[in-house]
Amino acid sequence: MNGDAELERLLGPREREVGCEECFDLLDRYVELELEGQDVDARIPGLAAHLRGCPACREEHESLRALLADDARGPG
Amino acid sequence: MSQLASAAYAPPALDRLLEDPEAPAAAQAKAWIAALAESGPDRDRALERLHALLLRAARFELGRRRAALDKVRGEELEDLATQAADDALVAVLAKLGEFRGESRFTTWAYKFALLEAGVRVRRRAWQDREVVLEPGGWEWFADRAGPVHEALERAELLDALRVAIEGSLTEHQRRVFVALALNEVPIDVLADRLDTTRGALYKTLHDARRRLRATLAEQGLTVTAEEDA
Repeated sequence: MNGDAELERLLGPREREVGCEECFDLLDRYVELELEGQDVDARIPGLAAHLRGCPACREEHESLRALLADDARGPG
Repeated sequence: MSQLASAAYAPPALDRLLEDPEAPAAAQAKAWIAALAESGPDRDRALERLHALLLRAARFELGRRRAALDKVRGEELEDLATQAADDALVAVLAKLGEFRGESRFTTWAYKFALLEAGVRVRRRAWQDREVVLEPGGWEWFADRAGPVHEALERAELLDALRVAIEGSLTEHQRRVFVALALNEVPIDVLADRLDTTRGALYKTLHDARRRLRATLAEQGLTVTAEEDA
């Protein structure tokens, strides 16, 4: 009972999580639902846990969110 | 048949549809798929548009990861972006039949360019770095052992974890865990070095993590307060 963030990072998510391929398959829908303010954990279970456990998929998730936000701002 | 498609998606109509922010996503997706699936001038225009879109995503990703590429010059960066966009285009076309319309077509396509660009950033950033697969002198633990001893519980956990890594994992699990979790080697870089895939490595990491958690739990040690459901 120590809430140690670094050990948590080492040992990964405790919940059930999807794998990298499934994460990639679901990522576009997940990000759009997130940006719509939907309850993504309920709609796509296991993906948020994977993003906590996998730095490469997390980077791709953050980038897709940022790119869509950039698109929404429009040119200029 | 392609003439029919050309008539249905004449270039100006296709362009207008794709550029109209008010157009329904499903109609835009249908236009993209139809144009890309046919041969002829519509396809060429659609390919050009799609490549431009993927290049924008690749450049965006390289821009975000600029800190990891501090030794990479402008033209090499542009080269990396172009390679990422080219490979993403091939992947999008190969997977076109798998697009289920659950997001905008452009969101779906973007992720291929972000993946390709991200992989290139990680590989480039690590191309001259050694990938350490063995725990060696357990530097990771030594680095964290100093002032942290104020927390006895943490010291006990660290020690138990080190023993579990040495004793409860298979050799392959230990090598993958040490590289990915302890030494933070990017998963694509390790996949290249071990001639495997990201998915296979993550599965091994996942199994190793479960094994370590279970071994710690057998000793009454947990990292967080809540137990697995």
